[in-house]
Amino acid sequence: MKLKIWGARGSVPAPGPETMHYGGNTSCVEVTLSDGSTLILDAGTGIRNLGLALPRVERPIHILLTHLHLDHIQGLMFFAPLFRPESEIIVWGPASPEASLRERIGRYISAPLAPVEVRELPALVSFREAEPLEWRLGAARIRAQSVNHRGPTLGYRIDDGDTSLCYIPDHEPALGAPLAELEDEWISGFELAHDASMLIHDCQYTDTEYPRHLGWGHSPMGDALEFGHRTGARRLLLFHHDPLHSDDFLDSLSGDVAERWAVLGGSPEHVELATERREIEIASVPAAASHP
Amino acid sequence: MSAQKPLELILARNLLSSISTPAFLVGEEGTLLFYNEAAGALVGRRFEESGTMSAQEWTTEFGPFDANDQPMPYDEVPITKKLRQGRPAHGTFRICVAGGHHEDVHVSAIPIVGNDAASGAIVIFWPLAEEQA
Repeated sequence: MKLKIWGARGSVPAPGPETMHYGGNTSCVEVTLSDGSTLILDAGTGIRNLGLALPRVERPIHILLTHLHLDHIQGLMFFAPLFRPESEIIVWGPASPEASLRERIGRYISAPLAPVEVRELPALVSFREAEPLEWRLGAARIRAQSVNHRGPTLGYRIDDGDTSLCYIPDHEPALGAPLAELEDEWISGFELAHDASMLIHDCQYTDTEYPRHLGWGHSPMGDALEFGHRTGARRLLLFHHDPLHSDDFLDSLSGDVAERWAVLGGSPEHVELATERREIEIASVPAAASHP
Repeated sequence: MSAQKPLELILARNLLSSISTPAFLVGEEGTLLFYNEAAGALVGRRFEESGTMSAQEWTTEFGPFDANDQPMPYDEVPITKKLRQGRPAHGTFRICVAGGHHEDVHVSAIPIVGNDAASGAIVIFWPLAEEQA
């Protein structure tokens, strides 16, 4: 399994010279499975560049949305395959008692916010509400589970052979109780992330910033690292960078991240801050190599 | 590893941990999944000591008790019946409080429904003694 980061920014796009390295596009990750098929995690503004780079293929394109906040769907309307009549696109996302997934996405892809309606998109587009169950897509087994964020939000786990990827970009698992005080079964997202070869997890804030954003649905660095450690993630990719965090600021955090991960027993080379356009081959890493 | 609890129960537990009103978090089949510090003070036993309890265990220890001071089977408690219909319920019951004596309390229970299925209930206690004070 391989992944490529097309957007790692949280909340709102943050383009500019001060974010050139980590990137300013919002959440989007391309996952290439062992059988060559592609899954796309979230449709933030990063999906626009991904759409331009994707080869024309006959297979359906699956887009797995964690939730419908704008930074996770804003790029959808600029995803080139949606405007190709030969494309088939299947959009997965969380269910809501309020309206169907199609109706909720249609609020964005409709007037007055957009010049087109969902029904006018040239591609064959369908919407599927991801049950908190398992299903297969190509070579992979996909699992979705509700996680602690604002509004209906899913985390995903993708198992492909002996490798696994867990993606929880917006998550505040320690809201209301420190992770250290909770048993595993009471930690939001624990089962999804347990022993994952790679965990992509929310790390929007520093520990100092977090008290001003309690309950906003995002994690500070300390909780992100603790969550990765508790779940036994082999590699940890910290994601959803705050739009106010410049490259220089994130560079300064990356040293802290490696040190604190090492204190928790992890190898410093197994933790990093997500960088736009970064490509990673996910390998099966024995537990002992990541957490002695 | 025990099965992951549904998110709505995790959030409910976090809420109960943060309030000073005595409250239980009850799961499927009446299992007592958690109770907060205020409830621990009310019944005279901290959750950290008791841990998760089956419906039979906690009703035997904490009540409710009938007019003859016998524990009522969980399935026969009126609130249980209403919760199983997906409805909130309210009543006054006799429970065993700190010190080992029995005392009447108001009880309000709210079903927790997530993903279209009931996963438990929040049960809130309001001692009559405080109300009369």
